[in-house]
Amino acid sequence: MKNGKARGRPSASDRGGIRKRGAAKKVDREGDLVMDGNTTQARAKRGRGDSVRSGASSGTRSQTSTRAIDAIQKAISSNSESQQANIRQGGRASNLEQVRVNNWKGSKAKSNPDGGQESLIAFLEKKLSPPDARASARARITKVFITSVVLSDVLSFSVMSRLEGDAIIVSIKPELLNRMLQLNGFNFAGKILEIEKYDEAGIDQSMLPVNGSTPTAADTKAKMTAFLAKRFNRENKLLDLSDLRNDPDLIAMGIFQSTSTESKFFPALMKVWELNLSLVFDSPAARRQAVESVSLRANKLENLKMVTTLAQAFPDLKNLDLSHNDFKDAQSLLAWRHKFENLELLDLSNTPFSADPTFKDTMLKWYLKLRVLNGIEVRTAEELAALKKSPIPVQAPYFRDEGCIAENFIRAFFSGYDNDRNGLLDSVYDNESTFTLNINTAAPRAQQADVAAWDAYIKNSRNLLRITHLTARMSRSHNGAEKIRKLWNSLPATRHPDIAAHPQDWLIECYPIPGLVDPTGQSPTGVGGLLITVHGKYDEIGKGSKIDTRSFDRTFVLGPGGGAGGVRVINDILCCRAYGGNEAWAPETEGAAQPAAQQATPQQSIDQAAVPPQPVVGPPATPEGYGMPAPGKSETQVQQEQLVIQVMSQTGMTLQYSELAISGNGWDLDKALQDFAKLKEQGTLPPEAFLAGTV
Amino acid sequence: MAPASEDTLVKHSTEAATEFVNSFYPALQSNRATISSFYSQQASTILFNGNVVADGAAVQEIFVNQMTPTHYEVQSFDCQIINRTYPTPTATGFKLPTETTIKDMSILVIVSGFVRFGESRDLPQRGFSETFVLVPNPTADGPKGKRRREWLIQTQNFRLVV
Repeated sequence: MKNGKARGRPSASDRGGIRKRGAAKKVDREGDLVMDGNTTQARAKRGRGDSVRSGASSGTRSQTSTRAIDAIQKAISSNSESQQANIRQGGRASNLEQVRVNNWKGSKAKSNPDGGQESLIAFLEKKLSPPDARASARARITKVFITSVVLSDVLSFSVMSRLEGDAIIVSIKPELLNRMLQLNGFNFAGKILEIEKYDEAGIDQSMLPVNGSTPTAADTKAKMTAFLAKRFNRENKLLDLSDLRNDPDLIAMGIFQSTSTESKFFPALMKVWELNLSLVFDSPAARRQAVESVSLRANKLENLKMVTTLAQAFPDLKNLDLSHNDFKDAQSLLAWRHKFENLELLDLSNTPFSADPTFKDTMLKWYLKLRVLNGIEVRTAEELAALKKSPIPVQAPYFRDEGCIAENFIRAFFSGYDNDRNGLLDSVYDNESTFTLNINTAAPRAQQADVAAWDAYIKNSRNLLRITHLTARMSRSHNGAEKIRKLWNSLPATRHPDIAAHPQDWLIECYPIPGLVDPTGQSPTGVGGLLITVHGKYDEIGKGSKIDTRSFDRTFVLGPGGGAGGVRVINDILCCRAYGGNEAWAPETEGAAQPAAQQATPQQSIDQAAVPPQPVVGPPATPEGYGMPAPGKSETQVQQEQLVIQVMSQTGMTLQYSELAISGNGWDLDKALQDFAKLKEQGTLPPEAFLAGTV
Repeated sequence: MAPASEDTLVKHSTEAATEFVNSFYPALQSNRATISSFYSQQASTILFNGNVVADGAAVQEIFVNQMTPTHYEVQSFDCQIINRTYPTPTATGFKLPTETTIKDMSILVIVSGFVRFGESRDLPQRGFSETFVLVPNPTADGPKGKRRREWLIQTQNFRLVV
């Protein structure tokens, strides 16, 4: 339940059907909770007894700051970090209505592990639903977040802030707003709920510190905000949290006077940071990039217990200074072992651990991008590159087109898919075409960014790992242009990058394959066609202004046919996954600059479409390593490739045509050349048979 | 023969693809001596990151002698029938469309997952996408009732994509 969306309870119907509108006290008949404040006999199923009640909120603490931090802490602990971040982001983008629910804490459900939050949401959802609603038709609260603080000023860290106690902000569909507001004054497990429309813009008017919140908490919050403003260097993207014990402001706040305040201080500080940040930076990406470096130098840290939340606040950190602390061993840092995947620089000097003989190896193992450790280079740029490299060198795309068929197809396909799916279907799909879609929801990603939900696709995903029943496998295969049309028109609108303008975003490969159905029935042993594989990205244009970038892999089998360009799509199989970038297919440049493979890829050739082709001088257009021995290449193949090169240099024909000429003549060079001379004389060779610049 | 019904075709093709995916990737990982047995003698293009590999024997040679231990994880895959009357080679030529059975089809398979080059689980996960065309093994029903692989790779294109 990523967004904290409350689950509907299994017995969803409101059995009593009691809906006394406007009355102050309500009785929930469902049985989960006793709503009447005077009833003491707890029927609560989820209640864990009363012991917590005395433990949690009573007791006197001497420090006012303790209370303040405590209040913040409570809000934090009832809600996970990531959840909060998601919700902030989601709440803004969608056109849901936000409603604030106050005075719910301390209900009889408070002893639930979540302080009664889930019960409250379930209660509200039930009250919002029509009495006879079936489970599927019940009202849903889509987003929830608990707020402990809402800061007034969007652009500065230094302005007064206000604690909103333990309000819960929920998001609901606009049509539910009126009914929701009518719930104001309802009795939830002994507490009279205060429900009002929540408007972030309207906060300023209610900013005055009267508002029922603990002044000391508000004060603490403001001081933390001011402290962060002091310690954050926005230009250098540095958050300096070193030597906190000697910070006069923190000393004045009494943070380090007791272990209790001390342990709560840091998580609270991170929370204040996040809330501030989410107001300053709109996009999650900008928020992640706001800080590249953090220093926790000289804080007498023995382990990460106190500061562990830092890893959630700054997952993409590049530089981390932990020096002059008391970390004894790897164990004391274990909590951050799988964090900070992008860490490049780590300083643990002047810690006991850095004297450990295993220190360097352990840190290299934990942090794969680590370059500098304790001020010493531990990985060279080459070593870092080698680590990224696959044992199978990455080459330029392999592209063996025939008469620009694939190139023209690809060019038309993606603009058609973005702009006119119906027209595209009419032009190259027929009744025998097949389209299927599968979603790899767990694919590796380029960034640690959140992946937008796959709701619009998933019911059509034919991932055969998951879709194991024959009927589902059949219904998720879309055969024939009309069925494909129906599906395509239901899939989200897309925008693929322009191939000519952004060739690096694409990897397109193509080569001939045999054994396809001959639609004319003339060739019983089948006909040849093209297999095209495309890897790239697209923007998904959702409702409103929301745009999500995703990656895809798409394979086509094209056969000869009556469609545009003389082709038909036999197979079209699409895999969508989280955005994974384009670095993986950037060819590795090794050693001395070798001439790049001269085969024309669509990326290149489309790019150069307007430019006259370069005359080929010197070696003819063959891919790198062609005609040369290589691991995995048989001796026969090397010889054949060398023969092809000879044909190319003597005839001026392209690699494909040269290969055809010589393989069609039993790899006999003389025969191939004779054949060529004859065909050339007859004028039957098409212009594209020749290398550019030779005719 | 009467054309096979749609459900038979889907059942046959998806089971073939599943069987292939469930046996090929484990072989790349830990049974490399069997790799060549997955390839058709008539294999056409075989590509790894744009590198052309000649045939199944060459693929096996590379994996046995040159490749680090490699962990593959298939996260999603799908398949489609390309040709339901595939001209499977016979002793005397090719099967004609009138002679083909349900087994004579060619199948397009697309796989999405990640790979880890090296043994440590701490190594990065690299996303890959791989496309295959599978064709029937003409000698699957070998002598002495000994079953061989029913489906062989006609063409293969592996690419790291993340």
